[in-house]
Amino acid sequence: MKTEVFFLPAAAVPEGAGSFTNTQRLLQKHEKAVDPPDDARTDLWFTYKLGVRLKELYQNSSVPHDGGIKALTWSYIDPEENKPWRIKDEPSSELVMREINGYTVADKKVVKGFGDLKDDGTTACGVWIYSGIYAPTTDHPDGFNRAAARTPGQIISPNWGFAWPANRHILYNRASADPAGNPWSERKKLVYWDANAPATDPQGKPTKGKWVGIEGEVPDFIVTKAPTTPANPKGVGLDYHSGADPFIMKADGKGWLFAPQGLTDGPLPTHYEPYESPVENMLYTKAGRNPVAKLYDNVPGNAYSPPGNPDYPIILSTYRLTEHHLSGSMSRWLPWLAELQPELFVEISPELAHEKGIGNTQLVNIKTPRATIQAKALVTKRIRPFVIGGKTIHQVGMPWHWGYKGIAHGAVVNDLSALVGDPNVNIHEAKVFVCQIEKA
Amino acid sequence: MSDAYGFYTDTTVCIGCKACQVACHQWNELPAELEQQPSEHGPGQTRPMTGNSYDNTGSFSDVNWRHVKFIEKSDIPAVGTTPASVSHSPQDPNRDNLQWLMMSDVCKHCVNAPCLEVCPTGAIIRTEFDSVYIQEPVCNGCRNCVGACPFGVIHMGGSGNAGQGTAKKCTLCYDRMQHGLTPACAQACPTESIQFGKIIDLKVRAEQRVKDLHDLGFPQAQLYGADTKILGGLNSFYLLMDQPEVYGLPSNPKLPSRAVIPSTLFSMGSALLVALGALFAFRKKRMDEFATDPAAKER
Repeated sequence: MKTEVFFLPAAAVPEGAGSFTNTQRLLQKHEKAVDPPDDARTDLWFTYKLGVRLKELYQNSSVPHDGGIKALTWSYIDPEENKPWRIKDEPSSELVMREINGYTVADKKVVKGFGDLKDDGTTACGVWIYSGIYAPTTDHPDGFNRAAARTPGQIISPNWGFAWPANRHILYNRASADPAGNPWSERKKLVYWDANAPATDPQGKPTKGKWVGIEGEVPDFIVTKAPTTPANPKGVGLDYHSGADPFIMKADGKGWLFAPQGLTDGPLPTHYEPYESPVENMLYTKAGRNPVAKLYDNVPGNAYSPPGNPDYPIILSTYRLTEHHLSGSMSRWLPWLAELQPELFVEISPELAHEKGIGNTQLVNIKTPRATIQAKALVTKRIRPFVIGGKTIHQVGMPWHWGYKGIAHGAVVNDLSALVGDPNVNIHEAKVFVCQIEKA
Repeated sequence: MSDAYGFYTDTTVCIGCKACQVACHQWNELPAELEQQPSEHGPGQTRPMTGNSYDNTGSFSDVNWRHVKFIEKSDIPAVGTTPASVSHSPQDPNRDNLQWLMMSDVCKHCVNAPCLEVCPTGAIIRTEFDSVYIQEPVCNGCRNCVGACPFGVIHMGGSGNAGQGTAKKCTLCYDRMQHGLTPACAQACPTESIQFGKIIDLKVRAEQRVKDLHDLGFPQAQLYGADTKILGGLNSFYLLMDQPEVYGLPSNPKLPSRAVIPSTLFSMGSALLVALGALFAFRKKRMDEFATDPAAKER
């Protein structure tokens, strides 16, 4: 298929409202601080406009399979929200979040959580894991965006942001209690079985006993399933698990030390050298490099250096600096941050600097099979050579984040790196590779 | 006066993020020190890197009221100074003694402040929070305080004093404190290395921390400026993991007034010596004249 690539002028994060989600699944709203400049617009704006144009394009179509686009709900403008800003057609991320939460189709009332969703078309929901983020409360019968909640707590802080799913801040939290449902440790009590608490079972009948979380933490377990509940070997889904199986997303409800299926490599973790290394792999001498690493050998300019290649004998390790945010495309333009890390550097041990005749802050060429770039030397004892098999092997370190524009600018370290992916999710493996350096 | 307020800086938890420097710049509307400031004609340009670890501002200045120091301390000599003595063995056990010390330096708001003592116009005052504050409209730019400060805190800058500039330094965020707010740096510090509060409370906390560190096997942990030995006490005191000199701090700074009596005595003594010398010189001249001029003998 022929494709065409468009470059759109993207707004920076503070130039639009939205939310960010961190690795603990916590959604936190961020407000719009300022209008984006000129024609720059948020991702939301571009997506919204694309939808509007598609609907216009298909509005007179009588082909049945275009019905989906014609019937698509696509109204996200809240003029009230846009009042203080120059850009008046910015879609409301609040309205989007409300739709993601889910509602009953007939009266557009927000649902309390994914438990209220039906598969008969009477409810709509953007994505079930976020359902409940806009749940109604006594104070807000029409729901409110919990990603914007900012009440700190002691340990869990359930009213700070929204942790998907169902505002569970810690997954599999039933594991904080022993098989009998008592906390493993009183000091670390999190979720436990309260045998005397009045409760309602999934069929709506009043029962006794339920799982309780401290500080409002939502149990990640069927709330009325007692620890003594036996497993049903013929049961489907959670019925197959006993009341002592906390890992409800696993087929058997147990915690796994290794993954017996689903991975290209495994099942047990092992060690391979990085794809580019100055030494051979000691553990698997026959296999050499990771045999299932995702390689891009056909990509022009992505040559790899074989292990022990004397042309590239030095390890190059890469990392980030606190002064920079992501690629530095925002932070290198800020004078207060740019002055703190003004230039790209390569950190070199005193031993290597001596060997190569390189002095502190002198320009250095850093060469890999992909490219050669320049950076200033930062000679430091923090960088220490290795001795492997009686041979001294040097390493150097370089921070990411420079580019050709900004108040602080410099060469792009990613020009040096090799494209190598991990075999399962293609995570860029080449944070470390090999190089040669010389005085420029 | 109400309670004394200030900083207790626990250098053991400083991660060198420089958030305090940025927060100070932002709150006090201080510009970055660039080779070329951003303008409509260009993005601006930074000054070159210093090559001194991750410290690229180098020192206090008129716009850097905080300065995060990065000290790479080890037993092997610095590279470049004595190349011949650089260890070439990576297995050199001395390499393991390397310490990467970080410390966010700031005005010490001394109880007996040398800058305040030498200020001829009364521009430098002690506030109700026991902090030391420069009233810029009163500063005449004499620079006495610049030389008097044993910590190199004060620098001249700005457009005050008819364009000649005035003395500049940390205000302990006097404007924030008057509204019950924490100084910007302490508020921005993500590890609570910079702690703000009543000095009396901070001292209790700091002493407990030193005790804990000693118990954990760090006998070198020590407080700097928490007692009255250094200039009557520092309202910004530190927990250090080495001798003060390692951090570039003087271990025994003196007030300028302490030098008045000894230097007066010294001046008097030298005046006396000069006088005596002159007397002897004239006497010797006359003696010599006697020795070489027979006529003089007859006189």
